[in-house]
Amino acid sequence: MNRFKLLKTIQADLKDRLVICNIGLPSQELYKIKDQTNYFYMLGSMGLASSIGLGLALSQKKDVISIDGDGSVLMNMNTLATIGNRAPNNYTLLILDNESYGSTGDQNSFTGEKTSLKEVAIGCGCKKVIECDATETSDNLRNAIKDKKNSYIIISKIKPGNVNVKPIPLNPITIRDRFRKFLGLVSYL
Amino acid sequence: MKISKKIIKNLKMGGVNFYLSVPCKLLANMIKILEKDKDIFYSSVPREEEGMGICAGAYLGNKFPCILMQNTGIGNSVNAIVSLLQLYNIPIVFLISYRGTPGEPVGAQGGMAKITKDILQTLKIPTLHCSSIHDLDKIKIYTDHAKIIESPIAILCDFDLMKEDHE
Repeated sequence: MNRFKLLKTIQADLKDRLVICNIGLPSQELYKIKDQTNYFYMLGSMGLASSIGLGLALSQKKDVISIDGDGSVLMNMNTLATIGNRAPNNYTLLILDNESYGSTGDQNSFTGEKTSLKEVAIGCGCKKVIECDATETSDNLRNAIKDKKNSYIIISKIKPGNVNVKPIPLNPITIRDRFRKFLGLVSYL
Repeated sequence: MKISKKIIKNLKMGGVNFYLSVPCKLLANMIKILEKDKDIFYSSVPREEEGMGICAGAYLGNKFPCILMQNTGIGNSVNAIVSLLQLYNIPIVFLISYRGTPGEPVGAQGGMAKITKDILQTLKIPTLHCSSIHDLDKIKIYTDHAKIIESPIAILCDFDLMKEDHE
């Protein structure tokens, strides 16, 4: 199962959650499946989906899901230590690990060689770390959200491969403000 | 302690309620104050760029964030500032210890010090440069400005000013 198919299988789990989605193809594919105002699409700052979601989870009570990739987590690995020490129970980091840099032409990443993000996350102090097949991802995500006593990192092992998508046509301020409206923070839209 | 207390008081008066830091010895007193303050959120973070991401998320969740760091941290964060904070118009306060300014004993800090203001200017970040305790009175005007123009702002605190606070 590749990223696009995986994203389709978790649509129901993302409903009404605050979703921070990684830059590039993950956001573009999520947009193509079905655009939602509770999705914050990243248009820049590769690596920071995990951190943005963490800040959001620390600032309000709704459930937050950061959808990240193996390449992006490798770029900002220090934030796993912050997550291990500070993540609140409403935070879930879903890492779609296709062992490659999909948005830049499927170059191999280190998670296909010797690096285990699961071991890194555990070493960083994250308690609930699940590595699973693509087919088990939706169930694990649902259980993670249901568990109000723990934050989770779910590493979903998927196949590389992308679908043909276009850049997201939304203006960044539109993405920001409709997301904040979903949170009840904007009244003028 | 007097200067650190005044900086935190002015930031809080400006509505700043979410604080992260990457440590600096000149920020040590401020960090001590923040660690004990139950009215606000405070945490250390390993790297400034990551802090920019956490602060952006905090803003989406209705906080007014501040990151405390050395001027070297700006160098670590340029892409996050431009392609996250400025792209989405996110107000945030950078409280920066200005290492490498006169009084600094570590020569190697001079390099980043020389280009810090140029980087901030290139990034078009409104900057309050604090050399004396009286400059700290302007902090609230700058934090208000950040909210009004929906932009990062920077507060640079000279080595000599902060050193006084630790004597």
